[in-house]
Amino acid sequence: MPRFNALGFGFLAPAMIVVTLFFLAPVILTVFFAFTNMSTSTGITGGEYLLTQSDLREVKASGVSEETYDKLENAGYVVDETGLALLAEARDQATADELADLHAGAQFSSRRDMERALKDLRANRIRSTRDRKALAELFTSSVMDERFQTEEEFRAALTAASIPEADQNILVKVAYTGWVWTTENMKLLFSLDSSWRYAMNTLFYVVFTLTFNVGFGLFLAISTFYLPSGIANTFRTIWFLPRILPPVLYVLMWYWLTWDTGIISSFMSWFGVAPRNWMLDTATNAWIVVILINGFVGASLGMILFSSAIRTIPASMLYASEVDGANRWQQIRYIILPQLRWPILFTSSYQTLSLLTSFEYILLATDGGPGGATEVWALAAYHTALNNYGGNLQYGLGAAYALVLVVIGIVTSALYLRFFNFKDLVAKPRIEQ
Amino acid sequence: MTTFKFKRATAALLLSTIALPALAEDVTITVWAGGSNDADAYRIDAIEIAADMLEREAAIEGRELNITVEGKRDFGGWEEFKQGVTLAAEAGTAPNIVVTSHLDIAPWSQAGYIVPAEDYLDFDAWPLNDIYPNLLEIAAYNGIQWGLPQDAESRPFFFWKDTMRGIGYSDEDIAALPDKIASGEYTLQNVLEDAKKAVDAGLVEEGYGFYPRPSNGPDYAQFYQSFGGQLQDPETGKLVLDKAAMEAFYQFFADAVDAGITRKNHLGTDWGQWYSEVANGKAATWHGGTWHYARYTGKEGNEDFFGTIEFSLIPAGNENGRANTITHPLVYLVTDQENDDHEDIAAQLVKIASEPRLNSLHAIKSAHLGIGQQQSNIELYANDRWASEATERLLVSANAQPNNLDYGAFSEAMFKGLEAAWTGVKTPADAVAELESELNAKLGDNLIVR
Repeated sequence: MPRFNALGFGFLAPAMIVVTLFFLAPVILTVFFAFTNMSTSTGITGGEYLLTQSDLREVKASGVSEETYDKLENAGYVVDETGLALLAEARDQATADELADLHAGAQFSSRRDMERALKDLRANRIRSTRDRKALAELFTSSVMDERFQTEEEFRAALTAASIPEADQNILVKVAYTGWVWTTENMKLLFSLDSSWRYAMNTLFYVVFTLTFNVGFGLFLAISTFYLPSGIANTFRTIWFLPRILPPVLYVLMWYWLTWDTGIISSFMSWFGVAPRNWMLDTATNAWIVVILINGFVGASLGMILFSSAIRTIPASMLYASEVDGANRWQQIRYIILPQLRWPILFTSSYQTLSLLTSFEYILLATDGGPGGATEVWALAAYHTALNNYGGNLQYGLGAAYALVLVVIGIVTSALYLRFFNFKDLVAKPRIEQ
Repeated sequence: MTTFKFKRATAALLLSTIALPALAEDVTITVWAGGSNDADAYRIDAIEIAADMLEREAAIEGRELNITVEGKRDFGGWEEFKQGVTLAAEAGTAPNIVVTSHLDIAPWSQAGYIVPAEDYLDFDAWPLNDIYPNLLEIAAYNGIQWGLPQDAESRPFFFWKDTMRGIGYSDEDIAALPDKIASGEYTLQNVLEDAKKAVDAGLVEEGYGFYPRPSNGPDYAQFYQSFGGQLQDPETGKLVLDKAAMEAFYQFFADAVDAGITRKNHLGTDWGQWYSEVANGKAATWHGGTWHYARYTGKEGNEDFFGTIEFSLIPAGNENGRANTITHPLVYLVTDQENDDHEDIAAQLVKIASEPRLNSLHAIKSAHLGIGQQQSNIELYANDRWASEATERLLVSANAQPNNLDYGAFSEAMFKGLEAAWTGVKTPADAVAELESELNAKLGDNLIVR
């Protein structure tokens, strides 16, 4: 009878925590990021309100009144009564009087000029640079180039500069420095030619690497099954090496093999073939290398799973088939392969999903080259979100790329489960019913 | 505190706190320098020397100030460094001072990670009034002086003299090349011809006639400018895609591959291999940076740089373009901190580190160029043949890439197009067409297409 079992739940808890941390949380964050315009310049944690010179261009196009625009563009520093009163308060009356004598009514367009005016003071010198800068700010009413923490503060400053409500609403939007919700990423993604190319590259990569993985894994498992166990284990260990080598080292060995100063080139030069880069020479070369690099890593996993699955086949079935005169091929076709259905399902679905999102070996080997020929979707997501010489990383757009993978991944898993009739495979043994 | 102009209300408060007698103060200033190796140690060491100076100044004024400088420059690469700085800034634990590319000013100032240097420093006073105005301009964005140039460099074109002699140049001809290039008489088309001659004569191997930088970088924007391309419209501040110039620039690299003077799969060549080859005459012509001098004459063991290598501006590509070079200075930036006094101390330190004598230590040790005019009066700098000749021949004609939020996307897309044309995946015309649609989609209103 089913009942709540605290111990069982306790055993499950670590798995739940891992699933939440390493699957659920990244997926939720990806969905969330994908619908924002988040980038280095918007920051992650939120924004403030700031109007800069480059915002003014946008302000002009956004339909604020001429008057407001002029106010923003021409706002500068004025030595007026208000400012002088504040100066007298912050410092003393004598300083304010001296400045009034020198520059009363003067207007300056930049802070530097205002500071220079303060430097002209002789009897009441302001010696500290920092003080001078603080005092210069007493003479401006501009909201330009000033950061406001909240919308209220910003609106208060705009109101103080007597900017009408309607224009304030526009300015608040333009001035916000943080990220906002948007569906632009998705639109952009589907309008770029490069997206379709990355998609086709990914399809090509997954189909061919998967075929190689499973096919070669099966071949290794079956061929070593028919070998004496000592030799079989030696072969399996050798083919397991690509998986246990650190990726950087593994790819480095491919460099040694394929570069124009590498092993293949040196060998081929004996036959008069000019040295060339066998990894990056053409798109075909690059694809072959990428598929082999990933394929050998994946094949070793398939090999182990298939080998152990073959061992669970009762030996009596094989003996019986031999008595009936079956040859090796018939054994494989009618006894081994049908019983490997579950491991093949598992390997295929697992590898499809991991290939869809894996890019580390491609990044290390070709970095998407030559000329973007091996740029797969996951690599494009990485390049967009985390790699940019100019410094403005596009987190939002990168997440949109990743979100597409999440969706494809979930749909593919569902299809696989249905196609391979998962329910039957995990059905309870009849004997327990 | 993130308000970078002091508000009226806080001004009075601030002045009153400064007047208080100061107590002993222990401050730790962290400095992170991106893209720096051993030769660039003075990016951090100069801050330490400056800290010593500032402590002594404070002591004379009767304040006890103890500054501990903690430097870090062992980052995996630019990406790791930039991610490190932005994530630390988001978490509120940003280093006080960062040394980085000037292109980071646009996004980082918008995000509020950095504070303007002009909030703390007087640019009319020594030593800041000695810094070349065009370099200061590069560290400004939206009319605000965000940082100080830390060093200058530029990206010259190089010729291997022996190879040039081998295809018929006399020593006088070679010496006259820099001037002929500056005047537009010798162009990239001549580079193609001469490199072809060198390959055909067997002086260099096939693919080594013209041997460009093996990865993306500011260098490639130079070739766009060589064919008349303009990166930013000075009127509106928008980025510019000049389709004809872009196609001619792509075509040049495609032609170089077709002629067998540049390898089709050159991009991605190991930097170590690349340095060793160009420094020892395996390539006829190539382009690099002024800081390469230290590498060629140091690690790569070229003992007679001036006897073996001639350098110049990047030649013009056609009659629309000009000979040019891009300077890509690193800048000192002060980050936003809880405590304004720490921002102030950080700003004072970068100011002192910009003194001609201190900056010359870095410039000469790392083979960069100086930032200030008075450095030519510092013997260490003036006696260095490379620094003075490169300043004279290159820095005067140098321009920089624009500080613009979208420039990163622009330059990545431009390089992707170049890669496609270079490797023959697309024709130059197709590559430009895709570049146009991609930039239109990504930059929208911030792009002018010509």
